[in-house]
Amino acid sequence: MIQPFTSDPLQWVAEDGRPIRELPARFTPEVLRDLYREMVRAREFDKKLVTLLRQGRTTFYAQASGMEATQLGLARSIRAGHDWVWPYYRDHALALALGVPMLDLVSQCLGTNSDLCRGRQMPHHFGVARFNFVSISSSIASQVPPAAGSAMAQKYLGTDEITVCTFGDGATSEGDWHAGMNMAGAAGAPCLFVCENNQWAISTNLRAQTASESIHIKAKAYGMPGYYVDGNDIVAVIEVLSHVAEEVRAGKGPALVECLTYRIGSHSNADADAEKNYRTREEVNAWVARDPIVRVERLLEHLGAPVSAEERADLISAAHREVDEAVLKAEASGQPDWRILFEDVYADLPVHLREQAAFLRAEQEGGQA
Amino acid sequence: MTATQSKPPSTGSAGETRTLTLIQAINEAMQEELARDERVVVFGEDVGARGGVFLATAGLQEQFGKKRVFDTPLSEASIVGAAVGMAVRGLRPIAEIQFADYMGPGFDQIISQAAKIRYRSGGQFTAPLVIRTPSGGGVKGGHHHSQSPESYFTHTPGLKVVMPSTPYDAKGLLKSAVRGGDPVIYFEPKRLYRAAKGEVPTQDYTVELGKGAVRREGSDLTIIGYGGVMPDAEKAAQALATEGVQAEVIDLRSLVPWDRDLVLTSVAKTGRAVLVSEAPRISNFMGEVAYVIQEQLFDQLLAPVMQVAGFDTPYPYVQDKVYLPGANRIAAACVRALNY
Repeated sequence: MIQPFTSDPLQWVAEDGRPIRELPARFTPEVLRDLYREMVRAREFDKKLVTLLRQGRTTFYAQASGMEATQLGLARSIRAGHDWVWPYYRDHALALALGVPMLDLVSQCLGTNSDLCRGRQMPHHFGVARFNFVSISSSIASQVPPAAGSAMAQKYLGTDEITVCTFGDGATSEGDWHAGMNMAGAAGAPCLFVCENNQWAISTNLRAQTASESIHIKAKAYGMPGYYVDGNDIVAVIEVLSHVAEEVRAGKGPALVECLTYRIGSHSNADADAEKNYRTREEVNAWVARDPIVRVERLLEHLGAPVSAEERADLISAAHREVDEAVLKAEASGQPDWRILFEDVYADLPVHLREQAAFLRAEQEGGQA
Repeated sequence: MTATQSKPPSTGSAGETRTLTLIQAINEAMQEELARDERVVVFGEDVGARGGVFLATAGLQEQFGKKRVFDTPLSEASIVGAAVGMAVRGLRPIAEIQFADYMGPGFDQIISQAAKIRYRSGGQFTAPLVIRTPSGGGVKGGHHHSQSPESYFTHTPGLKVVMPSTPYDAKGLLKSAVRGGDPVIYFEPKRLYRAAKGEVPTQDYTVELGKGAVRREGSDLTIIGYGGVMPDAEKAAQALATEGVQAEVIDLRSLVPWDRDLVLTSVAKTGRAVLVSEAPRISNFMGEVAYVIQEQLFDQLLAPVMQVAGFDTPYPYVQDKVYLPGANRIAAACVRALNY
């Protein structure tokens, strides 16, 4: 039933919330409600962090509103904390769904002492070792060849993790994307490549990005299956990705899954007024109507287990409280001082860095260099 | 201050040595590291059955199998990127880039991933790996098989950069690089692959990264170089000796970190420094060495710090002997320093 290289995205639930094919038994109303809650949590995280950005308490943020089903669905399709994830910079809903505490994400965005990355990376570039969630480079698609290497190491070591590599549609134009896909294909490495196709790379539309009719068909050139799924349909995302993830785990080589979704918000604070500059209000409205959260609400309603207005309001305020508490806790930990400059450049501290650290200590704290 | 030995120390019966070429020493280092540690893997273009275009990996696939020594697609970004991914997962990759001139497609993987993953993750993820690559001129390779791109990498914090010129150092530095905790760019001066011969111990040893070596002791001036220029630097010193000038010759061996104590101690003694490399002069790594010498020893210098480098042109095919700083040009710079 789940076939690669389809011309249309695989879908289980129509936009009006009606299943268009038999709903798998595992999607009970309770399970769907849990997925709904997790998506609302990610959506509200987005809103709260944009507020923090506007308040100047963080300096960069990349919204993922509209993409929650893709990221949550991926998290629910792999083994959290066991499989390795080489993410891109818009994956906070994925991180949250994998179980990364909100405090870790907020701390990274604020660059506080509670930040696992020690305040060295620009905001929204997470890295959490205990979830095998690898630190993100802003350099687009640069995670793809290392993800291939990570999967090659897994094959070498003979363990049963898979490596997951995510990226946006723009990344598929980069040389490193092709290099990494080709390497994984040639090595038969257990890597699950997931394209979160939100159709916009900052202000460049997918149609200007590539003349290819889709992204998933590019998999064919690398000797791997390419799947196409409605990324706003949480049931479809989990059905397809969990199937493909286990194929990859079973040793059938790498695979690519293209999740068709949409970035409702702007790219970042760099283009806060997207609709004014490069896309139409009509286009955005059309995708708002396909909101992944609304679709689950409608599905639950169809199944006779509707979400009440009160329940929704409670979920939203609980998410806001969770963010507020994380922000307070992160800010209370304070800001790292000048010492973070020199640690972790190398495994040891070479003589030139010892000298520079002494200079900076004298400048910052007074006394002799 | 005792200079690090350029020849193996005499350690009695345990100090058995034999003569190897530079490339044999590199091959032996990989062979021994593969045997020592199962996490070590060797890969790159044509490194398997072919043994590499210069035969640096000859026999390794035969001995250790295709799982541990393997050919990759023709893609430097894939090779470096895969090394990063493997290193993060606990392997100890030794990746070969066929010529340093082709590091371009792998450049972003080196500077954005390998060099920064430890720092940007707060030490949660690290990428200890070695990228071996033949560099420098002198083999009639034109400008796409002869360049010396080390300064691009010395300019990137997070990378260690080394370039041996003797078989002893080649083996010892490569072993240190494989066993260390950082990404190391290991440049191999390709014109010395078979020209440089020397004594190499049969037993295990390492050469510490960041330590230079005194090749010749002298009191009148200090010639400082690394890599392919070292034989010419020593020839220049010999020529000067026939004129009664005693030049000290230092081989940096490591560029990042580099042995400031060794260099400053020598130049404090001689008062004159001649810096030799074959990379183009603008933004040449030796500019950093010159800076530190003048900053630390300004009052003790008897002449300006001289620099002999490649010209700021692409590497020429026909006139490559003219391009490279030979013994005569090095000696002439020494005379300028002496007559200042």
